[in-house]
Parts: sequence; structure tokens; C-alpha cells
Amino acid sequence: MAKLTQEMQDALKIVGQGGAVVYLTTSSRKGKPNTVGERFVAVFRDEYIVIAEMFAQKTRVNLNENPVGVITLAHPVRGRTWSFHGPAGILQEGLPEDYEFHGVRASDVLAEWGDWAEKEPPSEVPPDIRPPALVQRGVIILKVDYVTDFAPEQAGKIILES
Amino acid sequence: MAKLTLRMKNWLEGTGAHIGTATPDGIPTVVVVDKAKTSGDAEVRFALSVAQIEQIQQNIARNPQVAFGPGSIGSIRAAYQFKGQARIEAQELVVAVDEIYSTKPGPEAGLRLDNLPFESIEQFEKTRWRDSGPPR
Repeated sequence: MAKLTQEMQDALKIVGQGGAVVYLTTSSRKGKPNTVGERFVAVFRDEYIVIAEMFAQKTRVNLNENPVGVITLAHPVRGRTWSFHGPAGILQEGLPEDYEFHGVRASDVLAEWGDWAEKEPPSEVPPDIRPPALVQRGVIILKVDYVTDFAPEQAGKIILES
Repeated sequence: MAKLTLRMKNWLEGTGAHIGTATPDGIPTVVVVDKAKTSGDAEVRFALSVAQIEQIQQNIARNPQVAFGPGSIGSIRAAYQFKGQARIEAQELVVAVDEIYSTKPGPEAGLRLDNLPFESIEQFEKTRWRDSGPPR
């Protein structure tokens, strides 16, 4: 497990200007990738990245059969060319009381991030790109195993690992 | 085969893309490029660095499926996901797009667009967004 640097944590948690945007890439078991932009993103306990699960249909299908993902920072990106790799899954209400995802309890994650609209209202997001309603079904979580650079000349270079 | 609208082409050419690839058994790897060229209805070409080619060439050789969405500000303003078959050709990743989805947050997230009549895709864009590409 890789503890994210303060700079990475700050980049994933930019307040104002609509916040940070990341791409989450998952894949079917047979290797068909899915790459979607996500804007409700945060860091949990220094080592996990959480994203509001707002009915991400293919992501859910993929993670159910192949629980691994890559998160790449999309905006703002200058000097922050990072890809976060690791096991990923979806946590939501109704899981067994003691359900754990790679070292964290689902109930702890959901207690903090299960109601994004309450914790961080999306009021800063410009109206034409704001979701009509922040309807959240749970939390997508990725445990960061390692981080690589995606800057073209150093693509794939490991910059943080456990 | 899908057909890209002018807006899609403008955004991809202006902001590049985050491009997801995977091993045949589903381990993903992503490369990020900051511009692209489009030609014909559905071909998109991304210039790759040597390191990027090294990073994904095995994936592409064994599994040509890719998925991508516009980069930087396009990740916010141009909520599309494109899927297709890729090959590496002379320092470029050449993708023949065969699926296009809206990823606009809300009820239309995941809506498949390339199955609609082309005029309907253009109409969809006109009524959802105000621009025809990235700011110059």
C-alpha cells in the first residue's frame, strides 16, 4: 500500500473552481476497458481514493468481475501527471456490518463519504455541467498500490510504491 | 462503425485524451496525450512518445480494445467516452472508433450515442452544451 504524498492529496481535493476531475479506468475480465471522467473525488485515510458512485453502470459491472482500476488526474493537471493503480471496488449501504475492503471497513468509508451532497454540496460546479441531482448509490474506492507518471517522456515510471 | 461529430473531433484534437488499454485478462493501463488528429468518420490518431509506446504496445498487440475520453478541460466540458480498436503505427496510436457514449453526469450518463441517427447526435449535443469545441 502506498501512502499518498501531501501534494497528491491536495491535488485530489482542490476546493473551488469546481474541484478536481479524474478519469477512472476499469476493464472487463476479457480486457474491454472503460474510461470515464469523475468529479466527486476525495482521499480517505491517506491511501485510498474515493469517488461518488452515481450509477456508473459499466464501472460496476467491471469491478464486480475484475476489481482493479487506474485513476488518472485530468484537471487541473499541470505538474500533476499521476496514475494511481490498485484494487478497486464499490461500497454501499446493505453490505454486511463487518465488510472490509483491503483494510478499511465499508461502514467507516460510507459514514464519511456515503452522502457527498451533504458533506460537500456541488454548488461550485457550473450549472451547465452540474448533475441535475447528486444521486449517489455508494462509493467507488481504490486502494493505491503504486503511482506512475503519465507525462509522455516518462510514461509508466513508478514514482511511489509501497 | 461510428461517426464522430464536429464537436467531438474539435474536443479530441484540442485536448487529447486519457486512453485506457488492458491486458487480455483485464489489467488496465492508461496513457494520456494532449492532442489528437481525426480523419474520416471515426479514425482518431494520437502521437505517442517512446515511453508511451513501451507502456502499451504489448497490451495493444494482444488486445486492441481501447476506451478514451477528452483530456484536461475536456474531461469536464466534453463528457464523452469513445471505444474502438487500436493499432500502433509509426509512433501513433490509431483508433477506429466503434462506440460512442455520453458520460454527462445524471440520467444520460452511459447513453449510447453512435446508434442514434447522426442528426439526432448533433441535436443531442446542441441541446446539452453551448460550445462546439474547446476555447481557443
